[in-house]
Amino acid sequence: MQLIDPSDTIERQNAKLIKITEALMRRVEQKTEQSGLAYAQFERAALLEAQVRQRTQDLERTLDLLHDSNAQLAVANRETEAARSNLAEAIETVDEGFALFDAQDLLVMSNSRFCKDLSDIKASIQPGLAFKSYVDLIGSSRFLSLPAVENRATWTQKRMQRHTDNHVVFNVSLVWDRWLQVSEHRTASGGTVILQTDVTGIMRLERRERAKLMDRQAKMVRATLDHINQGVCIFGHDGRLVGWNMQMETLLNLPIDENVVGLEFAALVDRLGDQFDYSGTVSRAGLLAWAEKRTGRRPLTFEVDHGKDRVLSVFAQEMPDRGFVISFTDVTAEREAARALREMNETLERRVEERTLELGDALAEARRANASKTRFVAAASHDLLQPLSAAKLFVSSLEDRATDDLSREVAGKAVSALASVEGIIEALLDISKLDSGQASMNIQPVRLGSILTSLRDELTPSAGFRGLDLHIVDSSVVVRSDAVFLRRILQNLVSNALRYTAHGKVLVGVRRTDNGARIEVHDTGPGIALADQRTVFQEFKQLSPNRSGANGLGLGLAIVERACQSLGHPLALRSEPGQGCCFSVTVDCVQADVHDVIDTSPDTRLARPKAEGVMVLLVENDAEVARAITLMIEDWGSHVVHASSGEEALDLLDEIEIVPDGFLLDYQLGDGMQGTDLLARLRTRYGKVPARIISADRTPDLLKACIDLKVKLIPKPLNPARISRFLDAAAT
Amino acid sequence: MTRLDHIQSNAHRKADDLVLSCVVPLSNAAPLDAVYIAFAGHDLAQVFLFMSPGPDFDALNARAAELFDDCCVASCTTAGEIGPKGYTEGHIMAVGLPRDSFATKSVPIPDLNELSAQDLCDEMVQTRLSLAQANPDKPNGFAFLLVDGLSMKEDELASIITPALGPLPLFGGSAGDGDRFERTQVACAGETFETGAVVTFVYTDCETRVFSLNHLVPTDQRMVVTEADPENRVVKSINAEPAAREYARIVGKDPNQLDEFTFAAHPVVVRFGDTHHVRAIQRVNERGELVFFSAIDEGMVLTVADAQGIASHLDAELEALSRDTAPATILGCDCILRRIEAEQTQATRAVSDVLARHHVVGFSTYGEQIGPMHVNHTMTGVALYPPKARPV
Repeated sequence: MQLIDPSDTIERQNAKLIKITEALMRRVEQKTEQSGLAYAQFERAALLEAQVRQRTQDLERTLDLLHDSNAQLAVANRETEAARSNLAEAIETVDEGFALFDAQDLLVMSNSRFCKDLSDIKASIQPGLAFKSYVDLIGSSRFLSLPAVENRATWTQKRMQRHTDNHVVFNVSLVWDRWLQVSEHRTASGGTVILQTDVTGIMRLERRERAKLMDRQAKMVRATLDHINQGVCIFGHDGRLVGWNMQMETLLNLPIDENVVGLEFAALVDRLGDQFDYSGTVSRAGLLAWAEKRTGRRPLTFEVDHGKDRVLSVFAQEMPDRGFVISFTDVTAEREAARALREMNETLERRVEERTLELGDALAEARRANASKTRFVAAASHDLLQPLSAAKLFVSSLEDRATDDLSREVAGKAVSALASVEGIIEALLDISKLDSGQASMNIQPVRLGSILTSLRDELTPSAGFRGLDLHIVDSSVVVRSDAVFLRRILQNLVSNALRYTAHGKVLVGVRRTDNGARIEVHDTGPGIALADQRTVFQEFKQLSPNRSGANGLGLGLAIVERACQSLGHPLALRSEPGQGCCFSVTVDCVQADVHDVIDTSPDTRLARPKAEGVMVLLVENDAEVARAITLMIEDWGSHVVHASSGEEALDLLDEIEIVPDGFLLDYQLGDGMQGTDLLARLRTRYGKVPARIISADRTPDLLKACIDLKVKLIPKPLNPARISRFLDAAAT
Repeated sequence: MTRLDHIQSNAHRKADDLVLSCVVPLSNAAPLDAVYIAFAGHDLAQVFLFMSPGPDFDALNARAAELFDDCCVASCTTAGEIGPKGYTEGHIMAVGLPRDSFATKSVPIPDLNELSAQDLCDEMVQTRLSLAQANPDKPNGFAFLLVDGLSMKEDELASIITPALGPLPLFGGSAGDGDRFERTQVACAGETFETGAVVTFVYTDCETRVFSLNHLVPTDQRMVVTEADPENRVVKSINAEPAAREYARIVGKDPNQLDEFTFAAHPVVVRFGDTHHVRAIQRVNERGELVFFSAIDEGMVLTVADAQGIASHLDAELEALSRDTAPATILGCDCILRRIEAEQTQATRAVSDVLARHHVVGFSTYGEQIGPMHVNHTMTGVALYPPKARPV
C-alpha cells in the first residue's frame, strides 16, 4: 500500500505530503517537547541497546579469533618442545660428552656427559654460555692437570687459538690420571660441535705396559705384603718356601731368616712342631696331604689354636703357577667377642621372654581399665548432663529471685561454676569418644578459608577482651579432613594461645608444604620448656596452675592431640621459654577444581543467629532428635530446656517459673497431648509466645491446623537456617 | 554424628525443588492457604503471585503477607496466567524461590506519578549491593519488575532504574486486567498499589539467562505519525489522515471494524538500524484515534510487521535456551497480544503445549520490560538452570 492514498486529488496528496514532511522534520530536528520525553527515552534506550549488542558481537568475534590463534600457538609450542626433547634424548644416548655452540659461539645444548669429570665447573655449563667463558672455565678447573712447563693462562690462550681451526682433535690431561680426547668440528651454519671422549683406559693400558718393563712389580708386592695385617707365606710350584712377610714372623714369634728360604712345606710344618693345635676342620695330616698335591688344590680355610690363648685363621690357596700361598690372621679377639655375645644373647632372650609375659598381663589389665574408664566417662557424662542443665536453670531462677546483692553474687558464681562443670563433662565426653574410636570422621575436601573466617568471627571478641591482637591470615587451600573436628582442633589451639598469652598477639597462618599445608598458630606467650612439651598434651595437665574451667583443666590440647591422631594429621609444637609457642597441624591438600569442593555442610555455623542467650523450651519425645537440636542451639550460645512430653513440659514450667523466650514443639508426642494442643495451652497461660511446630508430617491436615493456630511449621529434618531465624525472632 | 540425621544438610536439595510453583483457582475459598500448604516444608526466600484480577486483590495479598511473613512477596494482577498447562485464566499462579538457591529483596515503588529519579536510584543501588555482599555464594542474578500496566510510566521507570542495576539484567511485565483495560494493581508484602511497581532483586547460585523474544518480521509498509499526544500515548493522525482510518487503509482493513484482533494480526514496529521494537495498539478511541500500549511521538515512522508462526517460533526460541542444559524453570512475561494472536490463529493449544513443555510459569502482560526498554508483543523472561556444581 502506498504512503499516500492514490485516490486523493493531487492537491490533497500534496497537502498531506507537506504535513508528513513537517512531522518528519520536527522529529529529525528533535524539537520534542517535554511531552515526548517517554518516547525519547525509549529511542535512546533502543539505540544504546543496539550499539551494545553490536559491540558484544564484535568482542565475541575477536575473542574467538584470539582463541583460535592461541590454540595454534599452543600446537606450535608443543611441536617445538617435542622436537627439542627428541634432540636432547638423542644426544643423551651418545657415549661421548657432546656440546653444540651456535655461530655466535654461545652454548645451545650439551648432554650430561659433557665435562662430567670437571665437577667443579659442570654446573656452569648452561645454554647461553659463551665459548670463551667455557674455555676459561676449563682453564680454571682444579681437575685440569697441566704439564709443569705450562701455566693456565697460556693453556687457555692456546686452546682459543685452536678454536679458529675448522677441525681439531687433541688430548687433555686431568688430575688422577684421567684423559679426555676433545674433538671440535665446525657445522655448516658456522656453529661448533665438541665431542669429549674418555680415553683414560687406553692411556693407562699404555702405561702399564711401560711399568712392566721397569720391573717394579716385585717391589710393590713386597711392600704390599709387609703392609697387610696378616701373616703370608708363599710356596713355589715345588712346594718350597719362596717368600713371607714380616707379619708372619710376629705371629709365629719366630724369626724367619734366610736359611728357611727353599725349605719344603712339610719340613716347615715340622719346625713349627707343637705350636699349632689343629683343633678345627683340617688336621695336620690333611694339610700336608693338601700341599703334597701338585695341582688342582681347592682353597682351604681352617682355624688353629696357637699357644694357650690365640686363635689363628688360616687360608691356603693355589696360585696360577701351581705354587700356593698361605695366610694367617689373628682372630683371637673376634672369637672371644663372639663367644661373649652368644652368652649374653641367651641371657637376654630369657629375660625378654619373662618380661613379655609380664607385659601381656599388664596390657590386658590396661585394656580392661581403659574400656571401663571410657564406658564410665560416657555414661557418667551423659547422665550428669541432664541433671546439670536442670541445676543451671534452678540456680538461675534463684539468681533472678535473690533479694540482696550477696545472694545474687553467690547465685551468679554458682551459675558460672555449673557452666564450667558442663564444659568439663562435654570435653570428657569428646575425649572418651576419641579414645574409644567412636567418633566418626567424615573425611572430605574442606575449604580451609571458611573455617578460618568463622574462627576469626568467633574468637576476635574474646581476643579483644583480653587486649590481644588476633590475626588470622586467609587461605584458599582445600584440604582433606573432617570439617567439624578440624575446626575443633584449630579452635582449641587458638583459644589455648589466647588464654596463655598475657600481651602481644596470636597469629594463625597456613604454609604450603610439598603435598600438604601446615596450619600454624603462633603466640607471644611465655613459651614452653622442652621438658614440658610432652606434658601439655596430657589431659588434666597444665603448666599454669591458676586457671579454672573445662579448658583450664588442660582438656583442650588433649582433645587436639587425640583428634589429630584420629585424623592422621601430624601435630607439632615448637617453643622456647620466653619465645612464645608455635603449634602446627599438617594436613593433606586436595588439588580440586573449585567447583568440586564441599563447603563444610551442614554448616550450622553459617546459619548462626545474631541472638545469643535465648532460652528455648524444646518438647520432643525422640531423645536422639532432641539431643541433636540441643547441641545445635547450644553451639549457637543459647539454652535449651528439654521435655519429652507436653505434660512434662507444663510441669517443668510450673516448677521453674520462668517463661522461655521461645518454644519448639514436636507435633507427635507419643500418647500424650499433641504439639498443637500444647501450644494452645501455652497460649492461654502466656499469651502469644514465639513458637514453631516441628514435624516430619506434612499432611494438609497438620498444615491447616498450623494455619488456624497461626503458627509456622518447620519440617524435619530441620533446616538450621530456619531454627536460627526463629531464635532471632524469639530474642526480640 | 547424630546431628547429621536430624538436621538438614545442603544435600537435601533436589533439582525438582529448585523453583516451586503451584496454581490455585481464584474461586478457592482460601486460595493463599492452599498455596501455603503446597509450599510447606520449603524455606522460601521469595513468593511471586500472578493473580487473575478480582475484587479481593487487597485481602488476598494481606493474607499472603500473613502466611509468608518471613519471606518477600510480590504480586500483580494479570491478563491471564501461565501455569503447568500453559495459558490459563481465573487462577493464582504462585512461584516460590527457596533460600537454598536464592536470596532476594523486593522493593516497592508505591506511586509512579511521584518518581524521584535520584532517590530511586540510590535505593536500588543500596539494596543491590547489600544483597550481593551478604550472599557471595550466589553470584548470578537478575532484577524482576512488576509494574502497573495502565500507568503509562513504564518507559520512564525502566530507564531510571536500569543504570542503578549495574551488571544485573532487568526484565519484567506490566500488570494486566484481563481484556478490560480498567484497573491494574501490584502489591508488595501485603500492601497494594494502584499506580505502583515492585522491583525484586534476585541473587542465586543457579545459572540464569534473561531473554526477550518476538516473532515479528518488518515489511516495507510504512507510515508516519503526523500528530500525537505522547503524554497519553495517543496517535491522532497518520500520514495527515485520522489515525485509525489511515492504519486500516495501510493494512487493508475496514476502518469501522478495527479491534484487538486486527491489531494483533497487523502489529506495527519502529526500526533502529537492523533492530525493531513493537509499538502495540491498544484500541481505537471515540475520536478515531489510536491508543498505544507504549511510548509514541510525532514524526515517528511505523512499519507494519508480519507474524511468523507463533507456536513454532516460540518452540524454536525456547529450544535454543535448552541447547546445553534444559532450564529447570522459565519465569516468563508474555504479552496479551501474543495470546490474542494465538487465539485468532487457532494456535492457543499449540502455544500452551510449548509453554508447558518448557516449564514456563508466569503471566500475560500489558507490556514487557527488557533492560531500559518497555516494549509490546514480546515475551521476556529468565531461564533458571540448575547450579553447575551442586554440593553433595
